Amino acid sequence: MPIVEVVDLFKRYGDVPAVDHIGFVVESGEVFGILGPNGAGKTTTLEIIEGLRRPDGGRAVVDGVDVQQHPREVRSRIGMQLQQAGFFERLTVDETLQLFAAFHRRALPGSDVIHRLQLDEKRRARVDTLSGGQLQRLSVAVALINDPRIVFLDEPTTGLDPQARRALWEVIGSFRREGRTVILTTHYMEEAQHLCDRVAIMDHGRIVAQDTPRGLIRTHAPGTTVTVLVDGGQVRFDALPGVQTVQQANGEVILLTSDPLGTVHALMELNRSGEAIFHQLRVEEATLEDVFLQLTGRRLRE
Amino acid sequence: MRGFWVTVKMGLRMYLRDRGAVFWGIVFPLILMTLIGLAFGRSDSPSFTIAVVDQSGGLLGRGLLEGLRQVPVFRVEEAGDTEAALVRLREGRLTLVIVVPGAPSGEPIRAYFDQARVTDSQTALVILERFIADANLRLARAPQTLRLQATGIAGRIQLRFFDFLLPGILAMTVMQTGLSGVTWVVATYRQRLILKRILATPAHPAAFLGGLVGRYTLTSLFQMAVIMLVAVLAFHARIVGSLATLGALIVLGTLVFVGMGFAISTVSKSPEAANLLGTAISYPMMFLAGTFWPKDFMPKAMQPVIGLLPLTPLVDVMRGVSARGDAVTAYLPGLAYLAAWGAVSFLVAAKRFRWE
Repeated sequence: MPIVEVVDLFKRYGDVPAVDHIGFVVESGEVFGILGPNGAGKTTTLEIIEGLRRPDGGRAVVDGVDVQQHPREVRSRIGMQLQQAGFFERLTVDETLQLFAAFHRRALPGSDVIHRLQLDEKRRARVDTLSGGQLQRLSVAVALINDPRIVFLDEPTTGLDPQARRALWEVIGSFRREGRTVILTTHYMEEAQHLCDRVAIMDHGRIVAQDTPRGLIRTHAPGTTVTVLVDGGQVRFDALPGVQTVQQANGEVILLTSDPLGTVHALMELNRSGEAIFHQLRVEEATLEDVFLQLTGRRLRE
Repeated sequence: MRGFWVTVKMGLRMYLRDRGAVFWGIVFPLILMTLIGLAFGRSDSPSFTIAVVDQSGGLLGRGLLEGLRQVPVFRVEEAGDTEAALVRLREGRLTLVIVVPGAPSGEPIRAYFDQARVTDSQTALVILERFIADANLRLARAPQTLRLQATGIAGRIQLRFFDFLLPGILAMTVMQTGLSGVTWVVATYRQRLILKRILATPAHPAAFLGGLVGRYTLTSLFQMAVIMLVAVLAFHARIVGSLATLGALIVLGTLVFVGMGFAISTVSKSPEAANLLGTAISYPMMFLAGTFWPKDFMPKAMQPVIGLLPLTPLVDVMRGVSARGDAVTAYLPGLAYLAAWGAVSFLVAAKRFRWE
């Protein structure tokens, strides 16, 4: 059953379309990811669905409520984690959650939310003494305080160290187990691949593909990638055995191949005969990164 | 009004943890009151130190010295050397230097004064002139046909300097809270996307903004109480009018200037710019509106401008009530003018308010 429906959404800043006629449907209970580089329009999309911004066209329906007509009603049903938003620095973690709890019609006990986000030790600490990871967790705690059916997370793990990122992934995973729907944006393909049931890949305000991570890879980057750093020599990579597509980025050549063994053999042969010189050679299962590369010709983070 | 009371409650906690806010709201006004009180407050019973250089060595000099010592406001010293006395005059340690000429020669008695200190010098000179005129009459043995007896009476209200200063300081503090405090706080909340966080909740934005107004109203009343207490206990200021009326005026003033603070924060891009603009508006107002000294001290050409400042009616009514026990009804036009400033400010703020 769809819980969020986005139809032909359009938003421009000046002459530049930030969100360019996009549409998608999120099913109840799934984790839906919007993956794309910075400036792709992910945050704008999220903020329109949350009712924080008005679209110039199209509509979004959340839990059966039209966002533009009843933004406040939508806000009472969802939890939002905002990117880069600050807190009242002279309040403690406890007080901050009390404050936001009071702005909602219903709220979970603050101590429960604090416990779930492992902030127990910082309950009485002032917000201005928290680390970046702790602030990020507090931000998610605020999104959870009204016990929402749908949680929006805008780049929840940006700027976190790998350990803190893993910890937050655990929390987001627990949201799914509780039957909450999660919509998140990210520019980390590992995050999308690890967390999301379905992913929409966004670039320049458009959704270029959407499917399950597996489905995206199968459709757009089936097989294996062989990556080499080329140092001189003219090689017709697309003539090598099994090679389907050739992408070049940052001096690297990325070959998508259906016959990894054959491709690697051919490369080694070229290297031995001196026709071309390669440094480094990586053979990997294709990832969402490769999907993005196939679809846009660019890497997610450049 | 979901969110109103929690905003007030948490706002008060933040205020008490904010040393800056407590400094500007309580300590700074008290320092100002002390400094201004020390600078101007002693003019209640003036006394002038004068030096007499007696070059006559005779009866004239002796008589004059004796006579001057009878004048209550003069502290008379004998000086041997004119030059040395003039140096002390230049240094501000004397108000007048009187030189009695040697051997009867028709030369006048000379009085030197410091042109830079007009008020003190003129007062002392007037007293001296009257003293000389009296002495002349007595020497001429003229009959005293007209007599004057001046009797000082204690008026119903003896307005002393701190009685006058206290309500001005209170009004100034209210203005500063709005123009410097609110501008900074709201612009900071906006820049750090804290306002956006509030907007992300289902609460009505007015509940949060109303909560901010409530918070500032309560902190203003608290600041007023502390400042009054210090003024009364340490400086013996007297408050004649009702405290409840003064409290109500503080509330009105807070509403108006918080509204202006909101309005200013909407036209500024950064907290720094908002604070600078608020300060640029509040400082001239602080010195012009009769806060520290009577408005009449300002040049005539400035008076129309002074009359238009929103702080002026607040200072007037608070001073009237606090120092003279006037009824608020005597100040209705001024209060209406003040309220109009508040209404316009809130309209501007409501129209232009941005959450991020």
